[in-house]
Amino acid sequence: MAKMTALALPLGWRHQTDPDCLPTGIEGIDFPRGRISEIAGPSSSGRTSLLDSLLASATSRGEHCVLIDTRDSFDPPSAAAYGVRLEKLIWIRCRGNAEHALRAADLVLHSGGFGVVALDLADVPAAGLNRIPPTAWFRFRRVVEPTPTIFVVLANRPVTKSCSTLLIETRRRSVKFLRGVDYEIASRKPAGKEPVKFHVRLHQLAVG
Amino acid sequence: MFACINWPLAENLRELADAFSPWVEQVAPDTVLFSLDGLHRIYGDARSTAKALAVRAPGANIAIAALPDTAVLAARNLPGVVIIPQGEEMRYLGPLPLDCLPLDAAIWKTLDRWGLRTFEDLACLPEDGLHDRLGDAGVRLQRMARGALGRPLKPFVEETIYEQRIELDDALELLDPILFLLTQFLNELCASLKSQSLAAGELHVTLNRARRILRLPFPTRDVKFLLKLLQHNLESELPGEPVSILILRAVPTATRLLQHDLFTIPAPEPERLESTLQKIRAMVGPKNVKIPEIRNTYRPGWGPAESPLAFRHFRPPLDARVELAEGRLRASGIQGTITEISGPWRTAGDWWRADAWDQEEFDLVLSDGALYRLHFNRQSKKWQLEGVYD
Repeated sequence: MAKMTALALPLGWRHQTDPDCLPTGIEGIDFPRGRISEIAGPSSSGRTSLLDSLLASATSRGEHCVLIDTRDSFDPPSAAAYGVRLEKLIWIRCRGNAEHALRAADLVLHSGGFGVVALDLADVPAAGLNRIPPTAWFRFRRVVEPTPTIFVVLANRPVTKSCSTLLIETRRRSVKFLRGVDYEIASRKPAGKEPVKFHVRLHQLAVG
Repeated sequence: MFACINWPLAENLRELADAFSPWVEQVAPDTVLFSLDGLHRIYGDARSTAKALAVRAPGANIAIAALPDTAVLAARNLPGVVIIPQGEEMRYLGPLPLDCLPLDAAIWKTLDRWGLRTFEDLACLPEDGLHDRLGDAGVRLQRMARGALGRPLKPFVEETIYEQRIELDDALELLDPILFLLTQFLNELCASLKSQSLAAGELHVTLNRARRILRLPFPTRDVKFLLKLLQHNLESELPGEPVSILILRAVPTATRLLQHDLFTIPAPEPERLESTLQKIRAMVGPKNVKIPEIRNTYRPGWGPAESPLAFRHFRPPLDARVELAEGRLRASGIQGTITEISGPWRTAGDWWRADAWDQEEFDLVLSDGALYRLHFNRQSKKWQLEGVYD
């Protein structure tokens, strides 16, 4: 029966299979391979912590990763403290030029072989984000689909629209000096999951 | 059999050795070692060969032995012409003092403490016990002292220069014809490298008088890949003047050997990765594509972090205006009332350098709820927002 259904599909259509996932170390948050994932949230909402934990998880497995840093805001010491193996990471600084960042992402995705490709568009002015044509995300989705690469986009607000498989919205809950920061992660896509709360404190990441 | 000539007065010892054998190792400026294989057809036995050598090198120390290092030790430490028959090495080498061996200071001290003075003393020690105490180096020295250390000859090979050049009557102003010539050069160079089982480790391109060096991430002789790299390099940094002299030189190195593993996590193909990174470097600048590193300093943002709180830098830091009385902060695009503050933490360093730092750091929560790092620069007396915890 399944064979007949497959035959009945129009040309070019394929069955969607469940992708492999890479855990981030935060319970309930796994990033799918071969898909676009998006992390959106305002400043101090834990979005960079989440990205660092993903990079730490991938680099500790020996995977090579790329960070395309549009606003040149990456901080290697805090990433290393999070567990990112910096020798496995290529850092591309675009000095605020979102167009360069998109072209670099395109080149890196076409090159292939990376575990995680992160495009950091956080704090890019809204005018710059609005100039990104929606077709760019469809193009990225097509490129990344047959590969085991996780393509993560980090931004202040959701930008990839229907092209992302996973959309995570982050919120800050409270700041306690000398103790840490509480964050809350709500997955908007796929919907229906309970929000995950996590707390970053001086020397460890705790889920609670 | 091997012959060694030790002749401090000789001007061109290798030329002398070349007259006897094509396989010559230059052990030191005054010492050459070469193989005697096949020479018996010309000179007969070892004695006749030694005589022929003595005629060409009067006054030199000449030694003939079955193994290379035995011949070298005998030529350096025994005067005149010495022929050591196989199996009788200890008779000749045994009385030599231990300082004739290439000993490092630690082993020399140990052997001296054991009361060993000559090759014979060292040769008599049990090999297993020596290995337990001095390791492989000790056993190697003992075999050398016994005249039983074999090794292949390292023949001297004239260095080949892999270079192609052209001087043009009419200078080239466009990239295309330059790339056309570079393609021809690369074809020639890569064919030469292939004939010697070598690959290019570096490319030196000279355009008129300006030389650029392309350090390749891995040894290769793939013409297409090398041409692509040259093209990206030339496009990212144009020559700036018409080119009339074009020189391409490849620095040879051993080829890359790879053994793939079924269980290895896939990594980017080096050729494609380098080509991609070259394109990105041409777009964003060569300094903006790198592997991040942590430096051995306490300078903020450079050295190791104490806390895993993820941080985002404002590069350059934003000039801020802080109204201390009202607890308000204002910077480019950020403003609000300070609701919580922690600090100051004073940090200073590198006072002997022009880029010394001396600042007081604060962590503060603004009324928008975000956690920022603010510092007061004690040199310029300025408040600056360094970044945001995220």
